[in-house]
Amino acid sequence: MIAIENLSKRFGKVIAIDAINLDVQSGEIFGFLGPNGAGKTTTIKILAGLLKPTSGKVTIDGWDLAEHPNRAKAVVGFIPDRPFLYEKLTAREFLKFIAGLYNCSSNGVAQRTDYLLRLFDLSDWQNELIESFSHGMKQRLVMASALIHQPKLIIVDEPMVGLDPRGARLVKEVFRGFCARGGTVFMSTHTLEVAEEVCDRIAIIQEGKIIAVGSIAELREMSGSEGRNLDAIFFKLIGGDEGKEAIEAFRF
Amino acid sequence: MHTIVALLTAKVLSYKNSLQGPGRGRGVRSIIFCTMGLLFWLGTYFIFYKVLSYFSGIAVIGTLLASRLLSMVFLTFFSLLLFSNVLTALSTYFVSDDLPLLNALPLPRRHLYAGRFIETIVNSSWTVLFFSFPVFLAYGTVYGASSAYYLTLAGVIVPFLLIAAASGVILILLLVHIFPARRLKDILVITSIVLVVGIFIFIRFLQPERLVDPESFYLVMDYISNLKTPTSPLIPSQWAVNAIEPFLFGDTGDWWFFMLVLWSTGLAFFVIGEWVFERIYYDAWSKAQEAKTARLTRSGVANRVLELMLKPLSERSRVIILKDLKVFLRDTNQWPQLFLICALVTIYIYNFSVLPLEKSPLPTFYLQNVISFVNLALAAFVIAAVAVRFTFPSISLEGQSFWILKSSPVELRTVLWSKFWVNFLFLLLPAELLIITTNVLMNATHFMIVLSAISIAGMTFGITSLGICLGAWFPRLKSENVSQIATGFGGMLYMILAVCFIGLVVTLEARPVYLFFISRMRGVPLTGGEITEIAALFTAAVLLLVLTFILPMRLGLRKLSELEI
Repeated sequence: MIAIENLSKRFGKVIAIDAINLDVQSGEIFGFLGPNGAGKTTTIKILAGLLKPTSGKVTIDGWDLAEHPNRAKAVVGFIPDRPFLYEKLTAREFLKFIAGLYNCSSNGVAQRTDYLLRLFDLSDWQNELIESFSHGMKQRLVMASALIHQPKLIIVDEPMVGLDPRGARLVKEVFRGFCARGGTVFMSTHTLEVAEEVCDRIAIIQEGKIIAVGSIAELREMSGSEGRNLDAIFFKLIGGDEGKEAIEAFRF
Repeated sequence: MHTIVALLTAKVLSYKNSLQGPGRGRGVRSIIFCTMGLLFWLGTYFIFYKVLSYFSGIAVIGTLLASRLLSMVFLTFFSLLLFSNVLTALSTYFVSDDLPLLNALPLPRRHLYAGRFIETIVNSSWTVLFFSFPVFLAYGTVYGASSAYYLTLAGVIVPFLLIAAASGVILILLLVHIFPARRLKDILVITSIVLVVGIFIFIRFLQPERLVDPESFYLVMDYISNLKTPTSPLIPSQWAVNAIEPFLFGDTGDWWFFMLVLWSTGLAFFVIGEWVFERIYYDAWSKAQEAKTARLTRSGVANRVLELMLKPLSERSRVIILKDLKVFLRDTNQWPQLFLICALVTIYIYNFSVLPLEKSPLPTFYLQNVISFVNLALAAFVIAAVAVRFTFPSISLEGQSFWILKSSPVELRTVLWSKFWVNFLFLLLPAELLIITTNVLMNATHFMIVLSAISIAGMTFGITSLGICLGAWFPRLKSENVSQIATGFGGMLYMILAVCFIGLVVTLEARPVYLFFISRMRGVPLTGGEITEIAALFTAAVLLLVLTFILPMRLGLRKLSELEI
C-alpha cells in the first residue's frame, strides 16, 4: 500500500529524515515510533502531501505521490496530530465539505455522515459550531472526516492525543475493524502500549534514520530483549536512559 | 519592573528570531520593503512640501490654511491611532495565545497591564509615527522652524500616543467586561458601530466643503474667522496643534499650557487604564473564555438558495465556495471592516453628489467628463483598498486548517479559482455601484459612463487576480488577528502594485478619451492618425488588463503548490 524509497527531507542544514525505506502492506496496522524530533511527523506530512521531499520516492496504492498526487491522496484519510479545523462550520457541515472535496457528496454520504457522527459520539453536537468543541471532540471529528470518503489507507499522527480512555478504545477498535475489511493504517505514536496492542508491524526512527522494522517478536529478537515489553525494547534500541536523567534533574 | 522587561523581552526575542529564521529571499524582501517605505515617505514629504509652499505664498489666509491642515493631519492621526489601538488592545489583552500562561503565573497585574500597554502602543503606533514624520518635516522645512519645533514635537507626540493607546485599552476593557457572554462578536459589532459613527463625526468636524468654498460665507472675515476656529478645543489633536503651532507660525500661543494638558491627560489616562485593569481585567478575561454560544441562528433557506445558485459549478468548487462564504459570514472579525467599507463608500458617493461643478470656469461638459475619468481611478483605488482587506487575506484565512485542502485530492487550481470568482463578484458589485452612481450624479456622458463601467470591470479582474496572487505569495496562516493580515509586507506590496496597475490603465486610456472629447468640443471629426493612436492605446490597455488578470493567477498557483505546512 505504501512504498517509501530513499526518502530524505532537509530543512536548511537540518536533516529531518535521511534516506529511509519502508514497505507497508495492505491490511496491516503499521506503527511508526521514535523519540521527539526523530522525523515521525515530517515523514507523515510527506505521505499526506503537506511537505515535498528533498529526494526519494513515495508510492501510495501504486500511485507515485510526486507524479500523481491527487490520485494518491484520493485513497488516503489523513488525521494530523493537532486538529485545526474550520471553526465556523458545524460538525455536519464539515463532514459534508470533506465529502465534497473527495467528490463523493451524492454517494450515500448523508447516511455515512449519520453513521460516523454516531460512531464517534458526536450526534448531539452535529449542528454546533466546531469552535465550541473540546480538543477530544475535534480529534474525533477529524477521524470521522478521514473515513467519510471510504479511504483505503489512514495516515494518522499521534491518534490518542487528547482522547479520553473511552475515545482511545474506540479508535483502537475502529482501526482494527478498518484493517479487518482490507484497509491499511500507518500511525505514528508515542504511546508504546497502543503500538504494542494494535500494530502488526512497527518501525523505529531515530535522528531521521530507520533503526529497526518488524513485528514485536522480531524487534524483541533484534534487540535481544526476550520476554520484555515494547517499552524495554524501544529504550534498548534507541539507547536512551531518560528515566534516570529525569530523576537526576529534580535534585536541582 | 523586572517582570515588565521580561514580558517585553519575550516579544522582542520572538520578533528577532522570526527575522532570523529560515526563508529564502528575506534580504531581498527587506530591501524592497525599505525602498517602498522610503519612496512613500519621500512622496508624502514632497506633496506636503508643495502644498505648504503654496499656502505660505498666500497672504492673510495662507497660515490659517496651513494651521487648519495641521489640525486635520492630527485629527486623522488620532482617529487612526484610536482605531488601531482598539483592535490591537483586543488582541494583546484578550486574544493572544500566551495569555493563558501569563494569567496562570504569579504576575502583579499592574505589570501585566504595563507590559501589554507598551506592546499595544508599539504595535499600533509605529506605522502612524513613521508616516507622520515627513509631514512634520515638511512643515518644519517650509516654515523654517528651529530645533525647538522638533523638540516640542517629540514632547507632544509621546503623550499624544499615550492618550490614544490608553483610550483604546480602556474602551476594550470596558466592552469585554460589559458584554462577556456574547464574547468578541458583540464587542466587535459595537466597536464597528462606534467607529462608523466616529467617522461621520470626524467628517463633520473637518467641514471640508466649507473650507474650499468661500462663497458660502457672506464676508471674507467670516471665512477667515471660520478658519481660525479650532477643529474642536476638547480633543487631544487640537492640543497638539496648539502646542507646536507657535514654533511654526510665530504666534505667541500658550504652547506650554497645551503641552501640560497633553502630558497630564496622557499620564492620567494611563493611570485610569491601570485602575480599570486592576479592577475588571481578571473578571473580563475569565468571562471571555466562557464557551461560545454554540446554537447559531442559521438560515437553512439561505443555505439552500446558495447551494442552488452554485449548482452549475463542479462539486469541489461548490463546496469550497460554500465553505468560504459560511466562514466569512460567521466570522465577526470581518464585520468591523465591512461596516467601515460601507461607510467609506457612502461618503464617497455623497462627496460626488455635492460637487459644485457648475461654479467652475471650465465648461461643465468638459469638467464632468474629466472628473468622471479621475473618478475611475479613485473608484478603482477604493476597490483595491477593499480587496487588500478581503481578497488579499483569502488564502491566509484558511489558517492552520489549510492542511485539509492541501492533503485532499483537490487541484490547488480549483481552490484558487474558487476564491477568485467569489472575490471578483464581491468587488465588482461595489465597483459598478460606485462608478455608475457617481457618473449619473455628475451627469457624465453616456460614452463616459459605459467606458468607466467597462474599465472598472476590467480593472476588477486585475485587482482580484493581484490580491489572490500576493495572498498566495505572502500567506500568514498563523495570524492571530484577521485585520492584521493586510497590514504586512504583502499587503503593502499589493497596494503599491494595484496603484501602479490602476495608474497605468488610466494613463493608457487618458489620451484616447482626451482626443475624443476635444474632437467633440470642437465639432471636428477625428483624423486617421488620431484614430490609430486611440486604437493602439486602447489595445495596450486591454492587453494590460488581460495580462494582469492571467499572470498573477499563474504565479499564485505556482507559489501555492510550493507551500509547505
